[in-house]
Amino acid sequence: MNNKESQKVLDRRDFFKKTAALSVTAIAGTSLVSSNARADDPAIMNNVPWGQKWGDPVTANRYGVPSKYEHNVLRRNTKLLASGNFRASIAVAPIQESMGIITPNGLFFSRSHGGVAHVDPHEYRLMIHGLVEKPIVLTLEQLKRYPSVTRTHFIECPANGGQEWRGPQFNSIQFAKGFMSCAEWTGVYLKTILADLGLKPEAQWMLAEGSDNSEMGRTIPIDKVLDDAMIVWGQNGEALRPEQGYPVRILLPGWEGNLCVKWLKRLEFSTEPWYCKEETSKYTDLKPTGKAIQHFYANEVNSTVTSPSPEIDWTHLKDGDIVEIEGLAWSGMGTIKGVDLSFDGGKNYVEAKLKGLVLPKSWTRWSYIHTYKKGDVLQLTSRAMDDAGYIQPTIDQEVSVMGVEAVYHRNAVETWEVNAKGEVNHVQIRS
Amino acid sequence: MFKLDRKLIITASTAAAVALFTLGCGGSTGTTESKKASKISIDGGVSYPVVNDKTGPYYVNPQVAQDAPKIYNGRVPTANELKAWNKDIMPDGTGLPEGSGSVEDGEEIYDAKCVMCHGDFGSGGGGYPALSKGNAYDLQKTLTNNRWKDPDADGPTREFGSYWPQASTLFWYIKDGMPHPFSKSLSDDEVYALVAYVLNINEMEIDGVEVDDEYVLDREKFLKIKMPNRNGFEPNIDGPNALPGVRAYYANAKNFGAQNLNQGAVRCMKDCQKASVKTKRINGGITGFLPPMSDVRDLPAVKEVKVDPKEVYKNACAMCHDSYLAPGSDEWAGYVAEGMDTVYAKAIKGTQGGMPAKGGTSLSDANFKTVVDYITTGKVK
Ligand code: HEC
Ligand code: HEC
Repeated sequence: MNNKESQKVLDRRDFFKKTAALSVTAIAGTSLVSSNARADDPAIMNNVPWGQKWGDPVTANRYGVPSKYEHNVLRRNTKLLASGNFRASIAVAPIQESMGIITPNGLFFSRSHGGVAHVDPHEYRLMIHGLVEKPIVLTLEQLKRYPSVTRTHFIECPANGGQEWRGPQFNSIQFAKGFMSCAEWTGVYLKTILADLGLKPEAQWMLAEGSDNSEMGRTIPIDKVLDDAMIVWGQNGEALRPEQGYPVRILLPGWEGNLCVKWLKRLEFSTEPWYCKEETSKYTDLKPTGKAIQHFYANEVNSTVTSPSPEIDWTHLKDGDIVEIEGLAWSGMGTIKGVDLSFDGGKNYVEAKLKGLVLPKSWTRWSYIHTYKKGDVLQLTSRAMDDAGYIQPTIDQEVSVMGVEAVYHRNAVETWEVNAKGEVNHVQIRS
Repeated sequence: MFKLDRKLIITASTAAAVALFTLGCGGSTGTTESKKASKISIDGGVSYPVVNDKTGPYYVNPQVAQDAPKIYNGRVPTANELKAWNKDIMPDGTGLPEGSGSVEDGEEIYDAKCVMCHGDFGSGGGGYPALSKGNAYDLQKTLTNNRWKDPDADGPTREFGSYWPQASTLFWYIKDGMPHPFSKSLSDDEVYALVAYVLNINEMEIDGVEVDDEYVLDREKFLKIKMPNRNGFEPNIDGPNALPGVRAYYANAKNFGAQNLNQGAVRCMKDCQKASVKTKRINGGITGFLPPMSDVRDLPAVKEVKVDPKEVYKNACAMCHDSYLAPGSDEWAGYVAEGMDTVYAKAIKGTQGGMPAKGGTSLSDANFKTVVDYITTGKVK
C-alpha cells in the first residue's frame, strides 16, 4: 500500500491524525536505527498489505504448506555424500532451525540405497515366515488392524558425524549432525504380532527386507524384536512419507537408522544371521586392531549445541544481551539424564537444563541462559549422559579405542567456537 | 533365561510372556532385577518394563496382551509365494541357486552393464564403490592401517576382496540390487559369471585354485570360497550361542570406545583437559551444499505458470461479476474508457466500490491481467 492511501485511511481516525503525521516525518527525517528518540515503527504505524485485503480462502491449500517466507528451511545434500545420481545418498535435516523434539515430516532426513520407492498401498504385502508356528501374509489393512501404539523416537544414521573422525569437515550444524530426525511413530509392537504367530525357541535372528530397488535388508537380534521393535505406518499423525518408507517400515528405537528397514516387505526368523551388504561392506566399524565391529546396533549417547550455529550465529547480538544457548541430546541406549555445557572447549563444565518432554530414545532439548559479552571467544561443548550410565567421550578417549577409520558411531563431544565477532565455526579439541 | 522367554510366547499366556521379556532376556545381574525400574538390554542400553500398565512414561493397553494372540488377520503364504519372496542367500548356501558362469562371460556382462558406474576392472570412482583394488590377500593386511597415528599413511582398503566376511553377500546383492537402475534383471548364470569376474579382479583363489581368466564358477565351487577377512569381525554372531556373546560384548563399554559411569568412567567438571590438546580447525572441509545454506526469510522467486482466464473467472470472479460487469458486457465501456492501465491498477489494488484486491486471488500481476482482459472483452487473447 502506498503512503497516500494509508494516509487516507488514517485520516478517518481522528485521534490518530497527529501521531500519524509525526511518525511519517520521523521516518522520513531520521534513521530508525540511530535514533534514540524512539521513532514509531512503520510495521506498527502503517496498515500492512495482508491486513487490508482478502487472504486465501480455506479452499486454497487442501494440504497445508509452510509460509512462503520459510523457503530456505530445507533438507540439503552435498555431492560428496552421493552415489548413484542421488539414489544411494542422503539429504540432511536443518536442525539449526528445529524446535522442540519433533521434526516435521517434510524435513525428516532422507537416506536410501536405491532411491525413494513409491509403493502402491493396495499392492502392499508383508510376509512373516521362517521359525514361526504360523507364517502369515498381511495386506496393509490387515496389518493396521493390530492394536497400535504411538511412541516418540529419533532415527539417526550411524554415519552422523562420521566424516569427522580425522578432523572437523563441515562448517555447518545441518551437515555435522543433521543425519537424524525425531518423530512420533504409530504402529504395532512386533512382539504383539509374534504372540499371535508363535515364535519358535531356536530363533535367534530376524531378517527385515525392503521392497525397494536395493531390496535393503538387515539382520536383527531377537532380543530387540521382543523388546521394543515396532512395525510402523504413522509418522507425526499421518501416513509415513515415501522418504521414510511408506507405507510401512520397521522401527528399532534408538538403533542405527539403517536397521529400520523401509518399504518393508518381509520378515524371516532363523537360527543364523544373514550377512547382508549393509552389515558387512558398510555399517561396520574398523578398529586399529584390524578387527571391525559388525552388528553395531545402538546409537550411543550424543549431543550438540544447535543454537548458536554457523548457520544462525550471534553477530547480531549486543554486549550484555541475554541469549539462550540451546541444543539436542539423544541416546539409543535409554533416556537422557543430563547435559553439561563447557564454554572453554571441554576444560570446565557447568550443568545445562533439560527442557520439555524427556523421553527414552528420543531427542531431548536442553538449554542454558547466557549473558553475551561482545568480543568474547567461546568454545561451546556439550556432553550428555543417559540412564544406562553412558557419558559422551572426549575425542581423544573415543579415538584411542576406535582409531579414525571406523566411519560409523562417532559420538565424541562436539565443539562450536564463537569468535570475537559472534561468528560460529566448527572446531575439534583433540591431541 | 532367554530360551524360556520364547517358549513362553508359544505355550503360556502372552500377558506372562510380555512381563517376562520385559524383565528377563538380557539380564546378567540375576535376582534383584525385577525390583529395578528398568533393565539393561543387548546393546548396553536401558529397556523399560511394563509396570502398572506403563512402559517408561507411556501408558499401554493391557488388553492387548490378552487379545492380540487371537487376531491373526492374514493368511498363510502359499508355497509358490514363499519361493517367490524367500530368495535371500545365506553363508551356508541356503538360497543359493544352481547354475554356473565363466570369468570370460562375466567380463562381457560387466562391460555391458556395470562398467559405466564401477569403472574399468571394478576400480570405482566418482562416488561409485570399487569392486576391487587389487590382490585381496595383500590388501587384507591394510586393515590395520589407521591414519590416526600416521596421517600420511595409506588408509585401509575395504573392498569386497579384502574386507567382506562372506561371498554369499556378493551373489545375493548383485542378484537383488544390481545393476542399480534396473535391479533383479540378471539370470542366475549371469550372476555366477559376474561373481566369477569379481573374484578374478580381486585375484582370489578357490580351494587353492586361482580364479584365472579361464575359470568357470558353479554352486559347488562357490560354497568353497574362503574370504581372506572371514575372521576380521567382532562380536561373533554365528552358531547357537551367538546372542549371549553379543550381549556380553556390548556389556563392556571398552569394546566399542564408549564411556560408562557404572564402569569406571568419570564425569569431570573442572580442569578436564590434558595440556596437549589443541583446537583443530576445518582445513578445506566439505562444502558444496545444495541448495546453498541460507536462513534468509524473503519471498522465493516464483516461476510463472500461466492460468486459464476462464477457469479463474469461474472460480474467483463469477460469484460477483455474473450479475454485473460480466465478461464482455457493455457495462465495461465506462471503465475501459479510463484506459486499461487504470483498470488494471484499480483491479489489482481493489476499489472502495466493492472490488477486492485482485478479486481475492493471489495471482501474479501478469496472470491477473489476463483475467482482466478476459472479463472486460469476453475473449481470451
Ligand atoms: C548406474 C550405476 C550402477 C550400475 C550400472 C551398476 N552399479 Fe553396482 N552400485 C552402484 C551404486 C550406487 C552402489 C552403492 C549402493 C549403496 O550405496 O547402497 C553399487 C554397489 C555395488 C556393489 C557393492 C559394492 C560395495 O563394496 O559395497 C556391487 C558388488 C555392485 N554394485 C555390483 C554391480 C554389478 C555386478 C553391476 C552390473 C551388473 C553393477 N553393480 C551395476 C551403481 C551401479
Ligand atoms: C466480492 C465481489 C467481487 C469479486 C469476487 C470480484 N469482483 Fe471485480 N468488481 C466487483 C465490483 C463490485 C466492481 C465494481 C467496483 C467499482 O466500480 O468500484 C468490480 C470491478 C472490477 C473491475 C473494474 C475495476 C475498475 O475500477 O476499473 C475489474 C477489471 C474487475 N472487477 C475484475 C475482476 C476479476 C478479474 C475478478 C476475479 C479474479 C473479480 N473482479 C472478482 C466485485 C467483485
